[in-house]
Amino acid sequence: MKTLLAPWLCLGIALPFVAGGLSGVRPPENQAAAASARGVTTKVVGAANALLATLSAEQRGKVSFEFNGPQRTGWSNLPSGIFERKGLRLGDLTAAQRAAAMALMAAALSPSGYKKINEIMDGDEVLKNAGGGRTGGRPGGGGPPPNDPARGGTPEGVSPGARAGGPPQGGRGGGGGIVFGKDEYYLALLGAPSETMPWLIQFGGHHLAINVTIAGANSAMTPSLPAAQPAKYTLNGQTIRPLGGENDKGFALINALDATQRKQAILDYQVRDLVLGPGNDGKTIQPEGIRASALTPPQQTMLLDIAREWVGILNEEAAAQKMAELKTNLPNTYFAWSGATENGGLAYYRIQGPTVVIEYAPQQGDLDHIHTIYRDPTNDYGGKLVAK
Amino acid sequence: MTRGGIVAAALTAGGMFLSPRLDAHRLDEYLQATRLSVALDRIELEIDLTPGVSIAERIVTAIDTDRDGRFSPAESDAYAGTVLNALALTADGRALPLNPGDQSFPDRGAMLEGVGTIRLRASAMLPRTSGGRHTIEYRNGYQPEASVYLANTLVPGNRRITIAAQDRDPLQHRLTVTYDITYSRSRRTGAVAASLAVVLIVMGRRKRATARPA
Repeated sequence: MKTLLAPWLCLGIALPFVAGGLSGVRPPENQAAAASARGVTTKVVGAANALLATLSAEQRGKVSFEFNGPQRTGWSNLPSGIFERKGLRLGDLTAAQRAAAMALMAAALSPSGYKKINEIMDGDEVLKNAGGGRTGGRPGGGGPPPNDPARGGTPEGVSPGARAGGPPQGGRGGGGGIVFGKDEYYLALLGAPSETMPWLIQFGGHHLAINVTIAGANSAMTPSLPAAQPAKYTLNGQTIRPLGGENDKGFALINALDATQRKQAILDYQVRDLVLGPGNDGKTIQPEGIRASALTPPQQTMLLDIAREWVGILNEEAAAQKMAELKTNLPNTYFAWSGATENGGLAYYRIQGPTVVIEYAPQQGDLDHIHTIYRDPTNDYGGKLVAK
Repeated sequence: MTRGGIVAAALTAGGMFLSPRLDAHRLDEYLQATRLSVALDRIELEIDLTPGVSIAERIVTAIDTDRDGRFSPAESDAYAGTVLNALALTADGRALPLNPGDQSFPDRGAMLEGVGTIRLRASAMLPRTSGGRHTIEYRNGYQPEASVYLANTLVPGNRRITIAAQDRDPLQHRLTVTYDITYSRSRRTGAVAASLAVVLIVMGRRKRATARPA
């Protein structure tokens, strides 16, 4: 009896310490994480203010929006000329301004996340140079590609005033043509940059929509849409696959499942597009596929590693918090797959849990054109952070 | 040369070795995405229709019947009616008539670019349902020759409703939803508890009455 009781007695002794940890007395490592997260916010606010200091009054008016206004949902994966974005167009900025804009993104995101968004933008430049920019009346659309001052270049080819007019947000561009390329990415700040009050950084263009909400020491990056076309290109002798990890890790997991698990994970119907793409805020679909509780620990690690491809775009401190949350919710998280199981084939997949929805969807049967979406049904646009 | 310069030079000087298809948007497919929500007394449908660029003109022509270059309310209603007529919804095997709801049509130009989405909303009243298991079947037979379908059930807003299963054909023309209604065990339990409480009170009073000295 004594032997049986001993562990419980030990637990009883240990409980006050555990309770202390849970009731607000942060262990040192949590305090360090909190301090680090506050440091990130300070850095991001500093970068935002540095950008604002480079702008004219007119430009500051263009980049600034209400935190709760309609701009928040005014994002899209579509290219300029079809979808008219508001905010600062990179192609309209001077070298210093463009460097400051990209420095803000670098501060808000992780190094790997910043690399990923640049690879998506480089991909759009590739699309443009392959003849993708149908200028159809829009001035400047077919000009030479600008360098990226944020990465050390100068904005040759910047064509101030080249922006076409257009209907209010969400409408089509007024220039009459689709324009691709790195100039066609826009930045908007919703709310004033602050270390205490919530505000949001919105950055996007063709195949990219990043929404980073910052509220005190916390930040969230949902909803966001990283996509790619081309999904693979060669640049300076290097093969670039902006969403290569997302593709390869998905195939690795489906191939790590045994026959019984695959039967649960693989949907018996085709999924040809995102289910919760742009315009579907606030919707939660019934989860399908295999529950992560039916995966082995190594498979669960693989699942989390796939999710990290999206979660890890955001700065490392916020991403670590989010990954811990996903790990906690793992038993109620699902992995669903549709399509080929051999890497190189066409396949759609979805990860869905209480606080995450991730979809990966090749478009129209084209492996070189991938759309993805990353949502948190409980925290899109930082709703949960703002409510705290 | 700076890194940015190298990037730009490589991109412009043919440093990329690919020939991407220049389709920033849907081409020859008509994407029809339906989200179905189940309530105790109704089924609601959200139907988003996005014709691809190479079939958009045909769809635009089908809507803009007077060829004046815009979609009038009457033309929009007529097209929505055509779509809804091609849908079928049953609940526990009984056909349900669909009532048109809100609708929005993009401008003609957006549709011709292959990025305009028509959004239709519709609903059907459910007959009074008992607790237990129920089945809804949704079929979309609109423009099957060129369409790509998505059909999903939203998580019910009412906690009494639990989705038990979703079944589809390989192309998602058909979605069958099996769901359970838990008619309130708590309501029944509450009624039993209330009855029990009354009985106990009455018994208690009687006991006190008999114990009281005469």
